[in-house]
Amino acid sequence: MIRFIIPLIAILLFFLEPIFSLFSPIEINSELYITVPRFLMVYLIFIATYYNSKRAIIYGFVLGLLYDMYHIDIIGLYTFMYPLICYVAALVIRQIERHTVTVMVLSVVMIVLLELLSYFFASVIALTSIDFGEFFTSRLIPTMIANSLFIVMFGYMFKQITEKRFFQKQAGF
Amino acid sequence: MPRFFSNKRLIILLVGVIVLVALIAFSLRDRNHANVPEQAVKDVVGFGQSLVTKPAHFVTGLIENIDTMLNTYEENKRLKKRLETYAAMQAELVDVKANNVKLRGIIDKQEDLRAFEPIQSTVISRNPDQWEEKIIIDKGTTAGVDVNMAVMTAQGLIGKVILSTPFTSTVELISTENSDFRVAAMVVGEEEMFGLIEGYDRTSGQLIMKRLDSSFNVKKGMQVISSGLGGIFPKGILIGEVTEVSTDDYGLTKLAYIKPAATFSQLDHVMIAKRTMTVVDGTDGGNSADAEGDDES
Repeated sequence: MIRFIIPLIAILLFFLEPIFSLFSPIEINSELYITVPRFLMVYLIFIATYYNSKRAIIYGFVLGLLYDMYHIDIIGLYTFMYPLICYVAALVIRQIERHTVTVMVLSVVMIVLLELLSYFFASVIALTSIDFGEFFTSRLIPTMIANSLFIVMFGYMFKQITEKRFFQKQAGF
Repeated sequence: MPRFFSNKRLIILLVGVIVLVALIAFSLRDRNHANVPEQAVKDVVGFGQSLVTKPAHFVTGLIENIDTMLNTYEENKRLKKRLETYAAMQAELVDVKANNVKLRGIIDKQEDLRAFEPIQSTVISRNPDQWEEKIIIDKGTTAGVDVNMAVMTAQGLIGKVILSTPFTSTVELISTENSDFRVAAMVVGEEEMFGLIEGYDRTSGQLIMKRLDSSFNVKKGMQVISSGLGGIFPKGILIGEVTEVSTDDYGLTKLAYIKPAATFSQLDHVMIAKRTMTVVDGTDGGNSADAEGDDES
């Protein structure tokens, strides 16, 4: 049963993201703030850290492809970005201690990286015309805050699950 | 070359970048048509998505119900005041409608630009990375939804269908940055004042209506509805209210800012308007410039 829990959570998070984006944009003091849910990315980073980085890259590739086909209608953006971020996260985590808090901080940094990449692609393909200052205040900061909340709430649980699976696999189960 | 090939990751990355660029170029070419594998993926993922979204809508609906219950007293007081004028308006509307049917009978005109067949639908997801204003709904071509149909809520127009597969459709909201998104609209006043909604002002959250003839007497507070002359949208869908009137860059035509009647966040149930009269590919469709010869200057 536990074998299927890891991909099942990934798929559930994949489906939860567009529901949370239905609440966005949030209006505070007649300013619009866009929060982008990046739950799946956080989970993939936890898989890469505690379970298996190759698995994380494969999940990132498959779910990124689905994301592109279903939501964006441009194949290749998230198909490329998800595995790339997983790979970078795996490289970084090799150098530092695998404490839960450091992994949480790493996840936030990786989300910022993902947002910057996606802003870069969106401006190159001309999906958006906002300048960097507006992107920073109305999109990057709220996204960081919202996802940090998510990481604090579920990070420890993700760690428990992925680590449990790792030890099971080592025991040859 | 053994050293070069030992660095397998670098090769994978390079090949990945090349494939990425090729794929992006390939799929950017024709975004408004889904080929068969894309349709299959959209339908399957859409089915899974609706299994997760519908319970979520149920929960948010429950919370909203509690929220409205707390405001019931205040709201009731306000509504009672409006009820008196409402009864008079209702009587007038029934009279006018009956009159309209009678007059139509006299001139023997059956078809009406206003008539449409509503298709009820549920919003199952919104594009999570929000670079584009897109939502996905759970009705597709099997339910009769087709590209370029108008999509609205009870409050007013929210967008149009840009892509449809057998069981899902993608809707682009009217609050988009996409400059190809045009809606043939008119301001309701003493006379019918036609123009085109094109563009959205992000900072003020208002739609921009262009190409209003300068002889038209557009005033603040007037209602804007779809004109039905764009070829696909039915006539009479409420779009919003004029908040500001100015002239365009060249001073030849008027330009009006419109506050949309519908809200674009937290959408759950929407209606697709399938017009009963003949549909032609005009302004509401993609290739308006060719079809109408309207001049981009």
